[in-house]
Amino acid sequence: MPIIQIPPPYRGPTGGASEVDVDGATLLECLQGVEAKYPGFGPLVLDAKGGLRKFATWFRNGDKLTGDVLSTPLEPGDAIDIISSVAGG
Amino acid sequence: MAGPADDKMIRVDMTNQTATIEDFPAEYRLLGGRALSAKILSAECDPTCDPLGPDNVLVMAPGVVSGTAAPTSGRISIGGKSPLTGGIKEANTGGQPGQHLMKLGIRVIVVKGQPSDAEARYGLEVNADGVKVVAADAHKMKRNYALCMDLHGEYPKTASFITCGPAGEMRLTGASVATTDQDNRYPARHAARGGLGAVMGSKGLKFVAVDPGRSGVRRPADRARFGELCKTYTKDYQEGPQMFQFGTSSVVPMANMLNTLVYKNRVEGQSPDVETLDGARIVESFETRGGEMHNCMTGCIVKCSNIVHDAQGEYKTSALEFETLTLLGSNCAVASWEDVADMDRLCDELGLDTIETGGAIAILMDSGGLDWGDADGMRTLLNEIDQGTDRGKAIGNGAVATGKFTGHHRVPHALGQTIPAWDPRPLKATGVTYCTSPMGADHTAGLVVNPGLSQDQYVWESQKSQIVNAVCDSSGFCQFLQPSLDDIRNFYGALYDEEVSREQIHDQGWQCLEDEWAFNKAAGLTAEDGYLSEALQKDPIAGQVFDVPMDIINQMYTKLPAQEDLFAAKASG
Ligand code: SF4
Repeated sequence: MPIIQIPPPYRGPTGGASEVDVDGATLLECLQGVEAKYPGFGPLVLDAKGGLRKFATWFRNGDKLTGDVLSTPLEPGDAIDIISSVAGG
Repeated sequence: MAGPADDKMIRVDMTNQTATIEDFPAEYRLLGGRALSAKILSAECDPTCDPLGPDNVLVMAPGVVSGTAAPTSGRISIGGKSPLTGGIKEANTGGQPGQHLMKLGIRVIVVKGQPSDAEARYGLEVNADGVKVVAADAHKMKRNYALCMDLHGEYPKTASFITCGPAGEMRLTGASVATTDQDNRYPARHAARGGLGAVMGSKGLKFVAVDPGRSGVRRPADRARFGELCKTYTKDYQEGPQMFQFGTSSVVPMANMLNTLVYKNRVEGQSPDVETLDGARIVESFETRGGEMHNCMTGCIVKCSNIVHDAQGEYKTSALEFETLTLLGSNCAVASWEDVADMDRLCDELGLDTIETGGAIAILMDSGGLDWGDADGMRTLLNEIDQGTDRGKAIGNGAVATGKFTGHHRVPHALGQTIPAWDPRPLKATGVTYCTSPMGADHTAGLVVNPGLSQDQYVWESQKSQIVNAVCDSSGFCQFLQPSLDDIRNFYGALYDEEVSREQIHDQGWQCLEDEWAFNKAAGLTAEDGYLSEALQKDPIAGQVFDVPMDIINQMYTKLPAQEDLFAAKASG
């Protein structure tokens, strides 16, 4: 199963869990899997139209995802990282 | 060229207007910025003194690696006893003076005393020939931009400036200390929190002019190792996600999602104006108005600072940050980033902390003293401050003073300092930082953006963040570079050609906190004094109040054993 690494700001709905294993052939399916397991996670990463929110950058096995990120095919064992900036200034 | 072995310090006596240069104590070589300030204040400042009297000590200390070729490392700490919290304070800023002082081999400026004539103003000149105090009455009550424009005419174009705006001269406790930014242009960077501008003003010190002339970068003891570290660190950063490439203002929608884009004096955690306050709108404006992302100091590879132009394409302000967009924007129900940009410029002109000022104006609005979202009214109000109206002075003195002025009950603060944007109700470990930090409610002391923590995790997460940030703010690295303790100790090791162990760097961060807590205790402050005010305990946002019990809070004052994650944790503020 692919593994979604949950960064600290997104751990409210996951109850503190820092990674979630989910079935899914694409990133979208995996995110839907996380939402099914931890309701409230989906809206943190997906906007009202179902697209990815803009303030995060996505990586698969360390490589930055570009283009149609949600359709990225995933293999069992793939690690997905979500990086988003948090700072005050 | 000054090397680590030739370091000096400047002592200034404002009672007699004299300045001298001394050798910098070798045993302090690994102390800079915040930790150095804490050490000096512990040794030389009576914690019970009047913060605006002659016995307070004003410290200006760049970080350990400032002035070197290390990336994003020229931050400077301003320290003293805070007139706002009554405790020790360090506020950290970018701009050029930190780099310039260190290129001259000046590790710290320590300012004591007070002129007998409260109306007299002075400047301090620092250059390769030495240091001297000069008369500056002609600059009295000048706003920061006009002041710097005039100083640019008086000093070589290589000079940078540390300045005190009218709010500091008026000894208002929300006053900041300004520094000029890269290319020595504008006084747009501020050591903002805790009213240290009032301490500078109380000493009659209007400006410090630092001219490095042709001084080069500081020479590390192990040049090859230091150079290699700079190269790999920069490469790794540039190949990484570069999350601050569009500035902290791009955090606005994320904060809204986390219920921490506070609205109307923090009665709600989300703003209906999230779209029009989002920093993405500022970046879009570059296309039609000009403006850009830039680095506030030379050598910064993060470049988080936005230069904001007005509709006519003229420079208006920089940088318009997330905290300002929240406190002067959503918290006052102001809908447009352009209005907030005006307010940011006015605060920079006056020399005021935008967080404290935004918190104070929201209290005035909540009390009925100004309509929510009345941006014109806010501009008028800010312009009143250096006219000396009672209302203007209350705002300039911050949230608690404005609470007293209006008689309003809802005054969110800790230790007399208003709460930054990051709200302690959804982010309880950050709340633990606000309660326990010697700095009072200051997100840069230890921000923990993790709403998924359980109560037993709050103390370690806050302590870890407080230690990493204390070390970062002592190093000269900017928190937005997000260096870890391992990164910092590696740079220190190459700078002095010695091994700095994990234990040593952990101890340094903890010792800084202990020095500061000891100062506060001697000043008469107790752990209970630091707890968040009633507004945050009673008024919920997203169903949550701040309710972490004192017995958990008190665990912070015991050094916890280092867990592996301490050394890789990134500074975050
Ligand atoms: S990261 Fe931003 S605040 Fe820090 S030094 Fe660079 S431009 Fe200045």
